[in-house]
Amino acid sequence: MVAKIPLTMLSENEEAVIVKVNGGMGLTRRLSEMGFTYGAKVKVLHSSPPGPILVVVRGSRIALGRGVAMKIMVSLEADA
Amino acid sequence: MIIRVAVIGNPNVGKTLIFNNLTGGRAHVGNWPGKTVEKKEGKCLHKGVEMQIIDLPGTYSLTANSIDELVARNFIVEEKPDVVIDIVDASNLERNLYLTLQLLELEANVVIALNKYDVAKDLGYEIDVKEVSTLLGAPAILTVATTKEGMEELKDVVMGAAKVKDGKRQFLISYGKRFDELILRLVCVLQKDEELSSKYPITWLAIKILEADEEILKLVDKSPCKHEIINQLLETKT
Repeated sequence: MVAKIPLTMLSENEEAVIVKVNGGMGLTRRLSEMGFTYGAKVKVLHSSPPGPILVVVRGSRIALGRGVAMKIMVSLEADA
Repeated sequence: MIIRVAVIGNPNVGKTLIFNNLTGGRAHVGNWPGKTVEKKEGKCLHKGVEMQIIDLPGTYSLTANSIDELVARNFIVEEKPDVVIDIVDASNLERNLYLTLQLLELEANVVIALNKYDVAKDLGYEIDVKEVSTLLGAPAILTVATTKEGMEELKDVVMGAAKVKDGKRQFLISYGKRFDELILRLVCVLQKDEELSSKYPITWLAIKILEADEEILKLVDKSPCKHEIINQLLETKT
């Protein structure tokens, strides 16, 4: 059992692996198009609650609203 | 004859820079995603042939999620440019090729420009261009837009591609046996609707119906084949 936490819980410069997206079909597809897929690495560049969160995923910088970022579940363990 | 060429690619891969290189234009280039929000046009004369080049906004995909994606998609689907230059960030192939696959599914006449090759080389990547071209069934070339490397070659390849326009490429991605069968059945039904099938690539339509793409569902809603399509989908559910 790996610990799943929402992406918003990471602090700046922390890196994690995506394990799940808790969204409907539309959001899941939208996020996967932007590179947020199962197993993809994400790194938080900038996060200042309650504002948006800036991450690097698959080589691109993308800013996400906190609500959307809450739905992306990540694991800090590398072998997740 | 004027060749109509559209330039498309993910955000921040160098579309506008290539557009400027081709047209000698001075569109604003910025090193951040989302710089180009509407389409721009320019002209280019190469070996006596005039090319009309259209710069489209950057997009990760061709779904109907947002206005800029829809602008790009509608242009390719409805205006049917002779050639589509898909600019791919060679230093980040995995993410960029998703759009390439969508363009191929749209049966666009794609030319792949593997841009930022200098960056890719610095990262230690070696790209087998021939293999990329064979696997995707579309011509591919390496470019470095900042130093204008590969621009002449790009123009040659675009001109060559424009000539084979009618030789439709059949590029099919398998979605697994169950879906492939369903797509095939939908294609059979859709073929009966002449209006739709003359305007859109049918396989693409079938896939978009399964994806529940809003714009496409609106089209299908008006189609005389609507009930038959629904029947096909219901049949599969049981």
